Amino acid sequence: MSVKYIPVQWNPNKWVYDAVLIVMMVIYLWVFLMLAPDRLDHERVINPQINAMRAFGSCAFLMLTVILCLGPLARLDRRFLPLVYNRRHFGVLTLIVALSHLAFVLDWYYAFSPTAPLEGLLSANTSFTRTLGFPFEMLGLFALVVLFVMAVTSHDFWLKFLTPRIWKRLHFLIYPAYAAVVGHVALGALQDQTNMVFAAVTLVSACLVGGLHLAAVILDKPAPAASGDWVSVAAVESFEDGRAKIVELGDGERAAVFRMGRDLAAISNACAHQNGPLGEGRIIDGCVTCPWHGFQYRLFDGRSPEPFTEKVPTYGLRMHNGMVELNRVANPPGTPTDPISLPEDVA
Amino acid sequence: MSEKSTPFFIGFLPVPDGLRGFLMVACAGLVIAFTALAYMIGTTQADPGPAQFRFDLGAQTLTGTMTALPYPVLHVTNGTETVAAGRSILLSANGKNGVQSRIEDGAVVTASGPLLQRGTLDMMQVRGGRRGIKAEPDVTAIEVVSESLGRWQMAGEICDGKCLTGAMRPGRGIAHRACANLCISGGVPPVFVSAQPVEGEEFFLVGDSDGNPIGPDLTEFTALYIQVEGEVRKLGDMHMFLMDVDTIKVLP
Repeated sequence: MSVKYIPVQWNPNKWVYDAVLIVMMVIYLWVFLMLAPDRLDHERVINPQINAMRAFGSCAFLMLTVILCLGPLARLDRRFLPLVYNRRHFGVLTLIVALSHLAFVLDWYYAFSPTAPLEGLLSANTSFTRTLGFPFEMLGLFALVVLFVMAVTSHDFWLKFLTPRIWKRLHFLIYPAYAAVVGHVALGALQDQTNMVFAAVTLVSACLVGGLHLAAVILDKPAPAASGDWVSVAAVESFEDGRAKIVELGDGERAAVFRMGRDLAAISNACAHQNGPLGEGRIIDGCVTCPWHGFQYRLFDGRSPEPFTEKVPTYGLRMHNGMVELNRVANPPGTPTDPISLPEDVA
Repeated sequence: MSEKSTPFFIGFLPVPDGLRGFLMVACAGLVIAFTALAYMIGTTQADPGPAQFRFDLGAQTLTGTMTALPYPVLHVTNGTETVAAGRSILLSANGKNGVQSRIEDGAVVTASGPLLQRGTLDMMQVRGGRRGIKAEPDVTAIEVVSESLGRWQMAGEICDGKCLTGAMRPGRGIAHRACANLCISGGVPPVFVSAQPVEGEEFFLVGDSDGNPIGPDLTEFTALYIQVEGEVRKLGDMHMFLMDVDTIKVLP
């Protein structure tokens, strides 16, 4: 949370997160570039430039795979949530590794030619109607452009400027980009492999990303929305202090009903920051705290504590036949609501 | 771990004790997995083949008669220990460039530069200017015999002769397709690598069915495993394969 835009709001957790990323990347490249060549039983060595483009390319692919696995993993097991926390840095680092891959490709396969490297990249293979021989480079280029756009717009300034809904949709481009990367690898590097290891790694990676997303959708599916203005949430006695129950309202909207002491109140489940699931958060220091990036909101009016300015919609509640019910018509963001109090016989 | 007992992480606060161990294991697992994957992928790369620049032999200086079509070939009359008289050798310039603009068909020249070698296939990367190709008007040209070895159907791959002979390792395959097309369009002689030797030869200089340089209709099939028919000819000591583009089939 911030009242002004600064490039990176560093904190010790981010330092540790980035350090782990860099160690992981450096070790991968060191093993690939320095250790592995000595273990190859080839009559002639692979060109160092080609080895480098393979090292950086495969590293970027694996990093992107991990990035895409973290989201569904955190849905399936909340302990993974801290790994989602600083995922933007992971994405930016992946872009840097992927750009290095492109630089080695341009400086080797597309160098030494009367045709300029970028022109050669776009013109040397235009067999778009073939499967074998398809210009797989274009798939990689598409993914790189998406990664670039995502990295450039990753800052909260763009989130605010574009609005969370548009920003989120823009960043969903990562899925077609990942599919393009899999195609890039499958139609390019894998076609020349005589050993199945990289093919197996690619297949397992793609299945992991697809399988985890599928599992998250299936296992994390909310109850269907009820009809009418008032939606039944849960039995009065089932609310746990400091936590929420999430209710589906239809059209993708969800609300989070929190208990704070003896009071119940409801706010939107979507954090104003990145649409994080507020209902999976906790009440800390009297504020609903988003599990993704720690953005906080007062429960009774949906506003961030001053000097912060974020606001989320609030909802009316009532008790009916021992059930807590929520009015599906949202109040404008930041609208104060009266909480309902739990009956005395509820612990 | 149940959701109730999962400690709640907030980015700007210290990591809760209950999560610290899990996160350390997860991070260590990622680093170990990346290390193992780098080793597995890095050590299982395919052999790029026995091709290389022969800088160790020093620059070669060869005199002979040029033929220009389909691509420049020097038929050596005065050679070296490595490239003896009677051999025919492919020529290219620096980078992805041919020497078409620097030679005349039937002329006698002295060519100089480093060799690239892959098996029985040699190519010279001639140096720039007159140090690379010098006309020898006082030396009589030989008659270069061109002999048909009949029509053949072959399976194999069209490569650019320079990367194939070691300018890049590996210098063939689909990942290298765009590079090969740039080389061929720049004038580097293309070479067909046959899956089975024909007349004892694995490498064939490629031309179209009229014996001319290949065009986009043939470069469309560069780096693919294809079956193709055409005439095999021997030009001096160089085997050529003049392809009929209409007979090309891409093989799986």
